[in-house]
Amino acid sequence: MDILLQLLMSGVALGMIYAVIAFGYQSTFATSGTLNFGQGEALMLGAMVGLSLSGDIMGGPYVNYWLMVPLVLLFGALQGALVEFVGVRPAIKTKSEFGWIMSTIALGIIFRNVAENVWGRDDLPFPSPLPTTPIHLFGANVLPMELMVVVGAILMMALVEFFNRRSIYGKAVVATSSDRDAAGLMGINTGLVITFSYALSSMSAAFAGVLIAPITLTGASMGAVLGLKAFAVAIIGGLTSGLGVIVGGLLLGVAETTTGFYVSTGYKDVPGLVLLLLVLAIKPSGLFGKTTIKKV
Amino acid sequence: MLVINQLKAAYGQVQVLHGIELTIPKGQVVTLIGSNGAGKTTTMRAISGMLKPTGGSITLGGKNITGLPAHRIARIGLAHSPEGRRVFPTQSVRDNLLLGAFTRLTFGGKRARGDIQGDLDRALDIFPRLRERQFQQAGTLSGGEQQMLAMARALMLNPDVLLLDEPSMGLAPILVEEVFHIIGRLKAQGMTMLLVEQFASAALAVADYGYVLENGRIAVHGPAEQLRNDPKVRAAYLGIVQH
Ligand SMILES: Nc1ncnc2c1ncn2[C@@H]1O[C@H](COP(=O)(O)OP(=O)(O)OP(=O)(O)O)[C@@H](O)[C@H]1O
Ligand SMILES: [Mg+2]
Repeated sequence: MDILLQLLMSGVALGMIYAVIAFGYQSTFATSGTLNFGQGEALMLGAMVGLSLSGDIMGGPYVNYWLMVPLVLLFGALQGALVEFVGVRPAIKTKSEFGWIMSTIALGIIFRNVAENVWGRDDLPFPSPLPTTPIHLFGANVLPMELMVVVGAILMMALVEFFNRRSIYGKAVVATSSDRDAAGLMGINTGLVITFSYALSSMSAAFAGVLIAPITLTGASMGAVLGLKAFAVAIIGGLTSGLGVIVGGLLLGVAETTTGFYVSTGYKDVPGLVLLLLVLAIKPSGLFGKTTIKKV
Repeated sequence: MLVINQLKAAYGQVQVLHGIELTIPKGQVVTLIGSNGAGKTTTMRAISGMLKPTGGSITLGGKNITGLPAHRIARIGLAHSPEGRRVFPTQSVRDNLLLGAFTRLTFGGKRARGDIQGDLDRALDIFPRLRERQFQQAGTLSGGEQQMLAMARALMLNPDVLLLDEPSMGLAPILVEEVFHIIGRLKAQGMTMLLVEQFASAALAVADYGYVLENGRIAVHGPAEQLRNDPKVRAAYLGIVQH
């Protein structure tokens, strides 16, 4: 029983990381119908920049973890805006249906190569801002950092939701998502809204990066698998459903930790992918999605 | 106020507008009449920037707006209530109205802020059904209610020129009358408007001037009164055949 609880809690923390990255996929899909396939690399860059700022790898630490987070968020936003400007905007302008897929993947590979050259290929430890001794919660051992992942993830998504509902700029983002032409007639610069959604998307990933880095290791290759799994979560939960990515993330996170323990760590990726295949076969718009993805 | 010269527009390779000349003087209501597919909606879309013209020029209040993106044209002061309503379905009626005032509420939106709350109240006074439903999702409104919302939303921009594309579409007869009544009131307040309506005779009754569009060309134009008495216009567009 205790073991199961333990696995559930680790699964939840992992799941919330997936949810945050998947949330980023949703944000660009909503406004532009495109996705940043370099989300994993945006996460990795966020973690590496965070490590450079508050770790001791580049003559630092320059700032502590808590001051580093907003700087990394800013970096993530700028990186996302760059991806949109260089890779996505031209494709949208020329109405190239698939150009953005290649260009976001290509940019992701470039970012990873740059990271390998700047920070090396080895995984580096990321100093934890919180004590690394587990605390006891309902009979299970939980790392303080794992709790922080859950709180941070929920806080971020709640803030964005609040922005979308309450501020006129957030309303403009929602309007752009539902009808781009009509939003333009309101005086909303929808091109800028799409840039913003890319900034938000990479910012979420960078945030996930600095949340997860103290629990795992940091390195140029850390993003690839996370980005892919979060993509599965976005599909499972539905690219159009905010709630869906949380449920999808938790499902996948818990499925992985329990399979890893009860079956074999070698198979821990299988249940998530099976779930993905099932969802694609039975409800392609995702468990909570409203619209179906265009049939091909 | 709005001057259109040799306007050409196309969807892909198919040219739809073949050089349209149209003038909307300040404070006047101009109506565009034509059968289905004549290019009325396309004309409006080309004016508001939803569709990039392939030729010609458009000036709004002396500013050349040809080829500008829709959001910049809106900021200069043109509101377009588009065909098919196009309300934001997942957002509340109130949010839709606030989005109509986006250019007044935001930095860089360029329109004078004015009295947003007062205008919101006025819009809800004009359309009482919207007041009752202001916190409801716009997508849950009936078609007619959505039509009213689209018009109210356009008014929230406090526009210098208002384009109305079939504002009475899908409305019950009594509400159609109401819409024309509202257009009359806006006119009395000095609003400059371009109106497209399926009820051509009612449109000509409220308008100062009319243009008849046939296959993407202006076939006839003249003061509304004159068009209403033109036998050809009567036969083709007003459904009145003279014996
Ligand atoms: N999105 C589009 N793509 C291709 N062709 C279009 C598109 N929209 C309109 N057309 C064509 O352009 C022509 C003019 O259409 P438009 O919608 O401007 O007509 P309209 O005068 O508004 O007609 P209605 O009274 O039916 O609203 C039509 O032949 C139509 O088929
Ligand atoms: Mg039309």
